[in-house]
Amino acid sequence: MSEHNHEHHISSAGQLWAIGIALTFLTILTVGLSFVEIPAPFDIITALTIAIGKAFLVAAFFMNLYWDDKFNSLLLIGAFVFFILMVSVTLLDTLYRVEVIPTF
Amino acid sequence: MSNHSEAQSVHLQHHFVDSDQQFDAAKLGMWVFIVNEILFFGGLFCAYIVFRAWYPELFTMAAKELKPLWGAINTLVLIGSSLTVAMAIRSAQKNQIKGLQINLLITIALACVFLLIKYFEYSHKLHIGIWPGADLYTYEGVDHPLAHVFFSIYYIMTGIHALHIIVGIGLMIWMYIRAKRNEFGSEYYTPVEMTGLYWHLVDVIWIFLFPLLYLIE
Repeated sequence: MSEHNHEHHISSAGQLWAIGIALTFLTILTVGLSFVEIPAPFDIITALTIAIGKAFLVAAFFMNLYWDDKFNSLLLIGAFVFFILMVSVTLLDTLYRVEVIPTF
Repeated sequence: MSNHSEAQSVHLQHHFVDSDQQFDAAKLGMWVFIVNEILFFGGLFCAYIVFRAWYPELFTMAAKELKPLWGAINTLVLIGSSLTVAMAIRSAQKNQIKGLQINLLITIALACVFLLIKYFEYSHKLHIGIWPGADLYTYEGVDHPLAHVFFSIYYIMTGIHALHIIVGIGLMIWMYIRAKRNEFGSEYYTPVEMTGLYWHLVDVIWIFLFPLLYLIE
């Protein structure tokens, strides 16, 4: 890190294209799976798993986290953890209301 | 530090030890901004989750008004633009300024294609009476008393995302102008790298919006 003439990582064109093609394939996969009847909670779980996989590819290889200072990855994971916390605490309220009457 | 080249010293601010430290500091700042963006969109995703848990049937019924084909095409357009922005950074790193400019232009073009498709989707919906908000919503095709709630969520999430696309186009035009002025090269390309990080973030958010809005069975 602190060495002089420290080189930044340069991805090869082939590497970048491979990630692009993988993302395209996963997009086609998730659209294809939406036409298949998957029972209730698992359809959302499958779609989100594919989306998280795509987000991982973008973050690791397009945003260069794989070669970066690991502190940047820690920030991203931290954001994700706090998002889960926000959703969980909110659901502890909204899922257990006796009556859901928000007026619009 | 005497072996630093001319190009580096032009851009090196006096409060940094060397340009590596300056680059890493800029990147850390950008990642903190990305954390902020994730939690900003996180609030909207949280609203989505709360309403979907309350009214699962509403989401199944209302999502039929969204055409997965257009969402899928836009996903591929954004993935393509993420690829070209990564190629733009690679060109800058390898001192290929022409390649940097071309890749930035392709990225801007793809971003415009995304907005154009979004424009057609929006105008079709507005035309048949799908407006955000209970008072403006007049469409009768979704047999649910809270149909407007789904579309309010849809408009706000995709609308704020589209706003980020517009900001990204502005940033990339700025990067293109600076590249034309020969301000970037393998020694200094920090602004291009930061614009790239921002653009990938916008791509990642769409990667989640697409299945959550368009692909509900």
